[in-house]
Amino acid sequence: MTWRASIPAALLLAASRTFGALSAEDAQFFADKIQPLIEERCYKCHSHQSGKMKNGLTLDSRDGWAAGGDSGPAIVPGDVEKSLLVRAIRHSDPDLKMPKEKLPAAEIAALEEWVKRGAPDPREAPPVAKPAIVPGDWWSLKPLVRPSVPDGGSPSPIDAFIQEGLHAKGLTLSYEASRRTLIRRLYLDLLGLPPAPEEVDAFVASTDPQAYEKLVDALLASPRYGERWARHWFDVIHFADTHGFEHDLLRPNAWRYRDYVIDRFNGDVAWPRFIREQLAADALYPGEPKLAPALGFLGAGPYDSSAAGTAPKSFEYMDRDDLVTQTMSAFASTTVNCARCHAHKFDPIPQEDYFALQAVFSGIGKGDITYDESPGIAQERRRWQALLDAAKASDAAVLLSFENEELVTKWERLRGESAPWLPLAAESSVAANGATLSSQPDASISASGTRADVETYTITFAPDLSEIAALRLDLLTDDLLPAKGPGRADNGNMHLSEFEAQVLPHGGGPPEKAHFCRATADFEQVSYGVAKAIDGDPKTSWAIHPKVGEPHQAVFELGAPLALDPGAKLVVVLKQLQGGSHLIGRFRISATNSVAGLLALPPLAESALRKAHFERSKEEQVGLASAVLRQIAEDALARLPPPLKVYAAARRAENERGVITFPEPRIIHLLSRGDLEKPLAEIGPGALSAVAVLPSRFQFRDPPHDESARRAALAEWLADPRNPLVWRSIANRVWQYHFGCGLCNTPSDFGRMGGFPSHPALLDWLASELRDSGGSLKRLHRLICNSAAYRQASADRDGIAAVDPDDRLLWRMNRPRMDADQFYDSVLAVSGRLDLAAGGPSIPHFRSKPGPQDTPILDYTAFDWDTPGASRRSIYRVVWRGITDPFLDALDFPDAAMAAPVRGFSASPLQALELMNDDFVLRHSERFAQRLEEQGTGATDRIRAAFRLALSREPNEGELVKFKALADRHSFAAVCRVLFNSDEFLFID
Amino acid sequence: MHRDSLRSTPTRRDFLWNLGGGIGGIALAQLLGGEGLGAEPFVPRPEFNGGLHHPAKVKRIIQLFMNGGASPMDTFDYKPELSRLHGQMLGPKEKPEGQTAAVGAVMKSPFEFKQYGQCGQWVSAVFPEQARCVDEMTFLMAMATNTNVHGASCYLMNTGFLLPGFPCMGSWISYALGSLSDNLPAFIVLPDARGLPNNQKGNFSAGFLPARHQGALINSLGDHPVPDLFASERFPFAAGDADRDSFELLQEFNRAHAAEHPGDSRMEARIASCELAAKMQLSAPETFDLLRETAATRESYGLNNKVTEDFGRRCLIARRLIERGSRVVQVWSGPQGAANNWDNHGNIQTELLPVATSVDKPAAALLTDLKQRGLLDDTLLIWTTEFGRTPFAQASLGRDHNGGSFVTWMAGAGLKPGIAYGRSDDLGFQAVEGKTLCYDLHATILHLLGIDHTKLTFRSSGIDRRLTDVHGHVIRPILA
Repeated sequence: MTWRASIPAALLLAASRTFGALSAEDAQFFADKIQPLIEERCYKCHSHQSGKMKNGLTLDSRDGWAAGGDSGPAIVPGDVEKSLLVRAIRHSDPDLKMPKEKLPAAEIAALEEWVKRGAPDPREAPPVAKPAIVPGDWWSLKPLVRPSVPDGGSPSPIDAFIQEGLHAKGLTLSYEASRRTLIRRLYLDLLGLPPAPEEVDAFVASTDPQAYEKLVDALLASPRYGERWARHWFDVIHFADTHGFEHDLLRPNAWRYRDYVIDRFNGDVAWPRFIREQLAADALYPGEPKLAPALGFLGAGPYDSSAAGTAPKSFEYMDRDDLVTQTMSAFASTTVNCARCHAHKFDPIPQEDYFALQAVFSGIGKGDITYDESPGIAQERRRWQALLDAAKASDAAVLLSFENEELVTKWERLRGESAPWLPLAAESSVAANGATLSSQPDASISASGTRADVETYTITFAPDLSEIAALRLDLLTDDLLPAKGPGRADNGNMHLSEFEAQVLPHGGGPPEKAHFCRATADFEQVSYGVAKAIDGDPKTSWAIHPKVGEPHQAVFELGAPLALDPGAKLVVVLKQLQGGSHLIGRFRISATNSVAGLLALPPLAESALRKAHFERSKEEQVGLASAVLRQIAEDALARLPPPLKVYAAARRAENERGVITFPEPRIIHLLSRGDLEKPLAEIGPGALSAVAVLPSRFQFRDPPHDESARRAALAEWLADPRNPLVWRSIANRVWQYHFGCGLCNTPSDFGRMGGFPSHPALLDWLASELRDSGGSLKRLHRLICNSAAYRQASADRDGIAAVDPDDRLLWRMNRPRMDADQFYDSVLAVSGRLDLAAGGPSIPHFRSKPGPQDTPILDYTAFDWDTPGASRRSIYRVVWRGITDPFLDALDFPDAAMAAPVRGFSASPLQALELMNDDFVLRHSERFAQRLEEQGTGATDRIRAAFRLALSREPNEGELVKFKALADRHSFAAVCRVLFNSDEFLFID
Repeated sequence: MHRDSLRSTPTRRDFLWNLGGGIGGIALAQLLGGEGLGAEPFVPRPEFNGGLHHPAKVKRIIQLFMNGGASPMDTFDYKPELSRLHGQMLGPKEKPEGQTAAVGAVMKSPFEFKQYGQCGQWVSAVFPEQARCVDEMTFLMAMATNTNVHGASCYLMNTGFLLPGFPCMGSWISYALGSLSDNLPAFIVLPDARGLPNNQKGNFSAGFLPARHQGALINSLGDHPVPDLFASERFPFAAGDADRDSFELLQEFNRAHAAEHPGDSRMEARIASCELAAKMQLSAPETFDLLRETAATRESYGLNNKVTEDFGRRCLIARRLIERGSRVVQVWSGPQGAANNWDNHGNIQTELLPVATSVDKPAAALLTDLKQRGLLDDTLLIWTTEFGRTPFAQASLGRDHNGGSFVTWMAGAGLKPGIAYGRSDDLGFQAVEGKTLCYDLHATILHLLGIDHTKLTFRSSGIDRRLTDVHGHVIRPILA
């Protein structure tokens, strides 16, 4: 058997789909004999109703058994012997016995009879799965209604809710933690940095009754706050600086999104606005081009560059899947991706909703997008870009508008005469790969003979000119060439990869290379513009298909005229490296010393210029306007400052694979079992139907809407005050990062597989506060940090752990271990080396060298911690998705391959080794020791200073003695190393 | 059943597992007040020979992974039809997704095939040493995958998912069973000295499992195989006596702190993990010191030959690691990229032969050595890759990616030796009989370890995730 053996099955499958209407007799037979039988015997494991599709097979529709499962179609209509279903129920194949208990003979016979009849089946499509739960019944989908605050005399509503929960179990809040504990807690929580000893002293000594509240306000106003809290958001959306996958490339412009998020947290952007900006700043705030970095959200996730090139269909599908998952888990705490292959098993999400969300993102691809910070420049660029696009498309309506006609007329007035061109006769001409070049009487050169795959012509002239301002290449037709030329390829095309020239001075001396500033041509093949012949990239070229069989010309203008002394030679090199024998068949080189009238114009434009205005045909007018306005637009664009870039996703984005464009959004189909090969109905953009108060399918006023309208519609859907998921989601996340555990402990899953909130009313109150007060996170931080629940001690209390071991009721404060970022930044701060420079390109914490392919080789262990920039906060380091930093890994820094709504906790021997022996810790132990030397005079003073800096407290007598002994024996660096490794440093009371 | 990873206060069992599980965990449980292990999930059960759900045949695994897609029809899958049809255009008209170039003509193998052993398995001339071991091997002749892209396929073969972010098999096994001793991490990865494979460290990621289960990368060439096992020489205050005194003070300081913060098992875990780190410092250097092996053993692994030295060294280290308590050791052949691996697009003869030669003698030596030492009685050795290659030429001498069929062999406990399961079509293009997906391979490996692949789960983002996703059948015909 060969691979072709699979074809008959496919044909049969197609045939089975062409079934016409059922006869009444067949329909009756099916309804009486077959349907009840299958429902009873097979649906348990093979139906949407049961949610089980064992081996991928469903038997609740014709599509189901025709498409079949992992082993292929279940039924070959009419052929009992070839139908897997029959084989299975007969128990004739030991590996395929279904159901486990053999059916009664009569039932087997009925099914055989059915198959023999051609398996008539009126059930066209799978039944719409009944949602597993009714939306209104589930806590997270219930409309968000502000609950009333329980009575209890507590000034803080948060405490009223918490105390209500505690009292019900006979518990109480713990006493308030000491001021030393509170200031360290607040600093590490809000800023991710420890407090300086002076700040601790001042706070502990303060007699101001508002000292604590003022401290909270001051910390929230610090720019360090955004640097800390942006990191939480990046965990949630798996943002990183590189692609991941096989070709794990750096995204040099990803950092602009990082800076945007930090800036937005510091500026306390309203949460709905944050949603809108990240999903659709371009559509919703067109007047604020500086918001473009917000769209970095769309490019946060991984990118399989290899699959994008070789397996585009499945790549786009999975890339969109990642973006849908990211968006809905981050903003709405919904695991919509579970509904890719079948209706969500646990939550009311049909497959249609999932694909509607795919449709939202079906018009964008990942890569760098360009933008301008200034609206004025952005507008200029848009204007000239639109004109350039119109010129390239010969859009008469635009080109012949009054305003643009004016520009053309002005150009005509200023241009004067066409430049005088002097055809140059060759002294010698050489083809590198064997073509015969022969000079013709009209100063042209013909190529014949050997027709290599690629060629380079080198022609030498002795021009009778003292100065050259431009060179012109004429491509000429010839009856001897394929399709009359001017190229030698079978279709008459040619590709000019690079056009180069240099002057050889008379009597020797170094040659002077010509630098061309502009190239124009009378015609350009799509994607093969003439500018590519002077871009220095041998892989790109100018070509002329489909306008073969006619002459063409290109003009190459010099940035500065070339002076030619008498006797000097001009050497022109024509590189034709496209391959496929796309070589030039006949050509001529001319030169001019004129700097005006140089534009290479298409024939229509040339003929227009030969006539008076009123004599020109419409085609001639458009031809001229198109050539002239294109040049004007290109010149204007070149004068603008270069645009900025951010790695994002858009209709047009640029990455290492080139420019990625989506002229139209892809059409999205519901896919049976999520299989690309099994498309069902087309699905338009939309969101979750379970949120009943909002329309789940997006309507657009203009049918051919821009793709950005889809993203804008999703942003509005998410940001709507009536959306119950979104407000609860962010309120819960904020709570989680303060307390170490969310009120709902599955912060990205509010479905039935997630956790149930410990305090549903409190969560709703917080979400309502956030929604009703404009979406300020800082306001929420204040409410939380000022509560007694947050300010209580973390100490264990006898016996209570038995009642509530996980502290879900908050009878004490949680005691988190520093996360990787807090540890890293705290070590820098304590050792006195923290560099607070903010923003800009990410800092590598590794040495890199080129790898065997595109992904470089990174060495984290060889990094020199004295490198400038190495002491900046960890938020500014390069997060390489696929080659992670082993040191931060050991401290549970999340794998950016997937969203990490919660960070883990590890305590492994490898972690202990990293903390004890990593260069980062050891180098900073030295620096910390150096700082101590600069501070105190005696050893005892230095130990005291070390404790105050690292632990925010004084050492006791015993500690002083022991640490001093270590310092005496082995230096202060050893002391600092022990402090960095101590649990007192690592844990936040 | 699942483990709630989200609580900030770990359970007692979390705490035990923080230590890497195994003996250390049990020892610590006693240390903490003599309480026995509760009826928590995923505790290796003595009555199941250390398995979780049924008796285990296998206790440890060495996996040899051929990065790039090892050609089946030039190694183990003999296809005489290729010679007959050589040069004919029989492939798909349109380039299948994930192939890198247009589909060429049928191409015969440039290597001679012969039958070997009692079982008569065909092996090509590129594997003369493995050919002598075929009676010990169990061949899966019709492995298949549903992608032709390296990154996605490597993820699939390692984690069971096409997308990144999922735990690999080694991490799942570490999570389920822990280490067999306190001295070494449960899951160790030995990448090619020339570089990481496709997906870099993504193939060894613990995904959403606790970070301690990710593959510990060993640098087999350098002076420091375990990174940060000791401080760099540049820091004398962290070496020798200074290190010992600092460690003692640290532990004392941490114990005092824990005493002031009773009831926090994470602090106890930190203290215990530091003790284990100190033990690892004592045992690891010996593990990686290959001069402790006899000259004959070193020679047998190919350590005296430049071509086989790197893979041979890592195979020998792998054996020493599993002898000393690691559960899973993964040895990679070939870095990512266009050369020095199994991704032979340009020329099968000149590209496949050297990389095949570099693994042949070491792989055969490892198998023979495991058997001679009796380790094969409870060890599983696996040779695999991410996909196969086309029977059709790429350009004229190479082969493109093909997920349709490829070969994996296993050897060791619980398997029928000397058999071949499954069959590809006459060109070796598609699996036609006994088609085996990664899920089936993983289900079988877990089965041998005494684990029911449908019961080893971890809840992440609303789903009880498994290594085998929602698929997988234990390949019963190959079980002994």
